Amino acid sequence: MTQQKYGLLMNQLRRTGWFLRTGNQELWTRSSSIFLESSCSSSAGLVLQSQSTDVHQNLALEDWIDAHVDLQQRSILLLWRNRPAVVIGRHQNPWSECNLPAMRRAGIPLARRRSGGGTVYHDLGNLNLTFFASTKAYDRQRNLKVVTEALRGLRPDLDIRATERFDILMNGCFKISGTASRLSRKSSYHHCTLLHSADPVALSTLLRPSSPGIHSNATPSISSPVANLTDHAPSLQWEELLEALVQQYNKEFGLCATSILIDPSDESLFPGVGRMAAELCSWEWTFGKTPKFSIETQLELTDKHLDLCCSAHLLMEVKNGLVDRCQLDVPTDWLPPNLSVQISEVLVGERFCPHRAAAAVTVLLRSQSGQLHRRMHLLCDAVLSVIG
Amino acid sequence: MAVCVLLRSFSSNFSTVLPLLTRSASRCPLQLAPKPYFGRTVASANTLVTLKFTDKHEWIRVEDDGVGTVGISNFAQEALGDVVYCGLPEVGTQLAQQDEFGALESVKAASELYSPLTGEVVEVNTLLADNPGLVNKSCYKDGWLMKMTIANPAELDSLMDEPAYERYIRSIEE
Repeated sequence: MTQQKYGLLMNQLRRTGWFLRTGNQELWTRSSSIFLESSCSSSAGLVLQSQSTDVHQNLALEDWIDAHVDLQQRSILLLWRNRPAVVIGRHQNPWSECNLPAMRRAGIPLARRRSGGGTVYHDLGNLNLTFFASTKAYDRQRNLKVVTEALRGLRPDLDIRATERFDILMNGCFKISGTASRLSRKSSYHHCTLLHSADPVALSTLLRPSSPGIHSNATPSISSPVANLTDHAPSLQWEELLEALVQQYNKEFGLCATSILIDPSDESLFPGVGRMAAELCSWEWTFGKTPKFSIETQLELTDKHLDLCCSAHLLMEVKNGLVDRCQLDVPTDWLPPNLSVQISEVLVGERFCPHRAAAAVTVLLRSQSGQLHRRMHLLCDAVLSVIG
Repeated sequence: MAVCVLLRSFSSNFSTVLPLLTRSASRCPLQLAPKPYFGRTVASANTLVTLKFTDKHEWIRVEDDGVGTVGISNFAQEALGDVVYCGLPEVGTQLAQQDEFGALESVKAASELYSPLTGEVVEVNTLLADNPGLVNKSCYKDGWLMKMTIANPAELDSLMDEPAYERYIRSIEE
């Protein structure tokens, strides 16, 4: 679709009352549309394809559509993919779900989505599909049928099946898709991944705990063996897959929508989307929303200078991503208790983050020298490595 | 909270992963299918305390001390499926009527919770941290979500009483 036609479409969508406006913004009236209410029921459904590969922008777009589009009589399919990122579910603990130090080294961001479910790795070889509908029309099995039927049509020799847990398995045992959803006031969205040609090494390396000894009631991920569609169907092209999915969506829901490319960072089309993306990027949302948890572990400390080692016990409680409590039990002949207490005290109230913790202890370390300094340093390093 | 009318599919895999959720004899027969009688009125020692309902299927019960206890209805917990996590607010949070105050995650979806009234959160049900299934097993009693002050009692008039809520449920299901 040309830019001009696209602009025309978006204006028509506004005029027909596709969008709900609240507050002091412009009130769009629900007048009948000349463009959309044609003999073909295209006004009942829309297929959108995001031009962005930024995970936060795409998640913000989902939020925007959920908040602003009237989905009572209509449905939307959104197709999107991201540059490498790890995405955790609404109530998950990133320290137990993924390897944060490895992600930092590789420059791979973490995002927390608003839907439930488990942790997934995204890259350009993974397709995300979001099915928007009214809360009444929420039907995950039906949505997944769009995917399974499309794949069966493309490659009949592949055994593709949706499970009771709303995963999609290929050839009986390989997970190629996982599902999560969100139910809001009147609308719902159900999104799922689809592994076309993602990087399996990155996936398995990054989806591992950062820290040992975490006790939490956060929703856990259920780990499954995965495979890419291209592992078993090497000739399947990305564009071919997208086309088949759009066709099957139209068939399943009785629509004739063509895929429209959109830019989720465009504030003129999606006013307020930038603010939504900023919120999703924030530390308060990404880490601060982690359910309360504790970490308990043994620290092995070796003073190489004197060839002496000992074992210390660490217990930390983290609430809203901040260290709420810290207890260090270190043998008193290795380090005077007042010093290990000082380390604990300086960490309480800080973000559970190795950079913040390192900054906090640096000040403390300056006040010591010689053997005490060396041992405090060792202890601090050990604590920081637990923080991940 | 937001509720889906269709498809109450239960994922059996979840109960093997999360041992706190059990599916057998503990399920109350009321939960098998929505019925007109919800057992909503709770008799306390001297007074009959009634529940008011929102159109998002939260209930609020005004206690003797004027504090409101908030939870979700039987209709809602049935439609949600097994609750696996309760995201509740901090004590002290100020809420306006219809503000989102948290979310429940179930096998079905993450679902927002909306405050029935304006007030301040004074207590949250800490039992739900280790036993989120209480919301399913005992939605009017042990599975309460939070307690709040009632800043504007007139707002109670905007909520549905039991017969009105029953009629509302029936109209949704048609």
